Amino acid sequence: MARIELEGIQKRWGPVWGVRDVNLDIKDEELVVFLGPSGCGKTTTMRMIAGLEEPTEGTIRMDGELVNDFDARDRDVAMVFQGYALYPNMSIYENIRFPLRMRDVPKAEHEKLVREAAQLVELEDYLDRKPGALSGGQRQRAALARAIVRKPKVFLMDEPLSNLDAKLRHAMRVQIKHLQRQLRITTVYVTHDQIEAMTLADRIVVMDSGLIQQIGTPDEIYSDPANTFVASFIGSPPMNIVSGVIENRTFRSEGIEIPELQIDHSGPTSFGIRPEDCVVARDASRPSHFRGSVYGVEPTGDLTYLTMRAGDKNFEVKTDRSYRADLGAEERIAFDTERMYFFDTESGRRIT
Amino acid sequence: MASIRRTGGEKLWIRYLILGAWALFCITPALWFLSIGLRPRTEIITPQPIYWPTFSLDAWHMLWSDWPMAKYLRNSVAAIFGSVLIDLVLAIPAAYSLARYEYRGRDDIGFYILSTRMMAPAIVAIPIFFLFRNAGLLDTVWALMLIYAAVNLSVVTWIIRSYMLDIPKELEDSARTDGASDLRILWEIIIPAIRPGIITAAVIAMIFAINEFLFTLLIASTPKAYTMSVALANFTGGSDGVIYNAIALVAFLAFIPVFIVVVAIQKHLSRGLTLGAVKG
Repeated sequence: MARIELEGIQKRWGPVWGVRDVNLDIKDEELVVFLGPSGCGKTTTMRMIAGLEEPTEGTIRMDGELVNDFDARDRDVAMVFQGYALYPNMSIYENIRFPLRMRDVPKAEHEKLVREAAQLVELEDYLDRKPGALSGGQRQRAALARAIVRKPKVFLMDEPLSNLDAKLRHAMRVQIKHLQRQLRITTVYVTHDQIEAMTLADRIVVMDSGLIQQIGTPDEIYSDPANTFVASFIGSPPMNIVSGVIENRTFRSEGIEIPELQIDHSGPTSFGIRPEDCVVARDASRPSHFRGSVYGVEPTGDLTYLTMRAGDKNFEVKTDRSYRADLGAEERIAFDTERMYFFDTESGRRIT
Repeated sequence: MASIRRTGGEKLWIRYLILGAWALFCITPALWFLSIGLRPRTEIITPQPIYWPTFSLDAWHMLWSDWPMAKYLRNSVAAIFGSVLIDLVLAIPAAYSLARYEYRGRDDIGFYILSTRMMAPAIVAIPIFFLFRNAGLLDTVWALMLIYAAVNLSVVTWIIRSYMLDIPKELEDSARTDGASDLRILWEIIIPAIRPGIITAAVIAMIFAINEFLFTLLIASTPKAYTMSVALANFTGGSDGVIYNAIALVAFLAFIPVFIVVVAIQKHLSRGLTLGAVKG
């Protein structure tokens, strides 16, 4: 159990910036996900919390105590790595026991603690095996068991699921969330997968180029993105963002016209709308905002992805499962006017 | 289908033939030595070819009764194992430092260590002789241990380093967050993980040490510190002339342990040699 405060954290290797400026207050028992593309500084920030990297500037506090000068082994954090990092020469039992031995937990308790941890991840039957004899999912669970065995103050998870296939990833995601709730341990989770972030997080920290772009609950991040980066990083397929101009409360871009806007802004503007907030308007009497030609139709079973094209830009629309159209056909699209986003074209910052 | 299988079979056949011939070519000297070593001395120097050699243990008996062979053997074993032990104790921490820590001049130091190997041994022979004389170590097994260890240290360090570079950094990060100190990480995580590398390096050092001749001759001036390789040279001179069967037998006996070890670990050995060669 711990609260983690990061203040003015920077990390530089010579001229190369890893993290530019991170300020973050992680509450006790919270599960915070760092989300961003590779190279955005999310793993570096986590490694600084772990004590595996030293910040160039800034302070890290755990439960109010300054831990900048604490070595990784004195911070009482447990980390799960992308490649599992199981010790290949030790059995799973010895792997899970390793942190207990290193931290001088009385020997008499080892057996009980290891079995408890193994049971939590359903791995009791594999304790005698070497890591090499386990499947990817089992290795991942062994790594989890090793992290939870000594009930650390903080869990750090660095893309723990990225080496697993999609089905297993879903199962492990549910298990990780369940464990975290059950053990009530403050957790920082790093991923580039927005689905993982949305499903796991109490709060998401979206990062790019070493800077925090937005901090918020999954809901806030999804429905109230602070800028075009966050808007286009979250969602699958991502938000459509089109640059155009607002004049006389009307936004215009190639194929798009949205009149009667309720915002006081004019000049170059980027407009964004999520694929699920667009409707195909075949009924000519219905108002529509966008005209283009059908570029691709992808049925997935439960819904159909429609890709429209206007000029040289693609535009994604989620339609219902029965939608079909010929390539090149003209189609009119109406937007949910309650769910439109406008961004400053230059800075990318949200206007409304 | 059938024709494909037949051509495959033919190819396999040819492969076995070529490899078998090569193996025979390689092993023939050893078998030849064994054959000479187990024949009476008179038979070896006859000019006529002999098709049915006479079996004799003359050379074997002579080795143990006329020469202090047991002592030579003891010296060899002590010097070789002692030197390998010294090498491992020094090379493992050095390799770990070179492979894992970041510090100014690290790569230069790595190069200096390797560069000791680039010198022809004869160049340093005289200074080394004086060094050991002044230290009062001439004619001792200790000196042999030290000199073998010094000659091999660079290679052993580099082989072990290349194995360490192969260990994912995550493993150490993980051990560190689990609460392990640097020394425990080295002892409990790194060393077990690179055991094949350590064995390879030790065997390579051992082979070098068994074959070492120049420095041994220089340092061991009396039978007190003679090893097998120098003892061999003694069979060529003296009042008895060149004792071919004894030479052959000693050479064969020296070959056996190396042969067994190399066969046992050949998979690791080839990996160790190529890794050491390719990794910078």
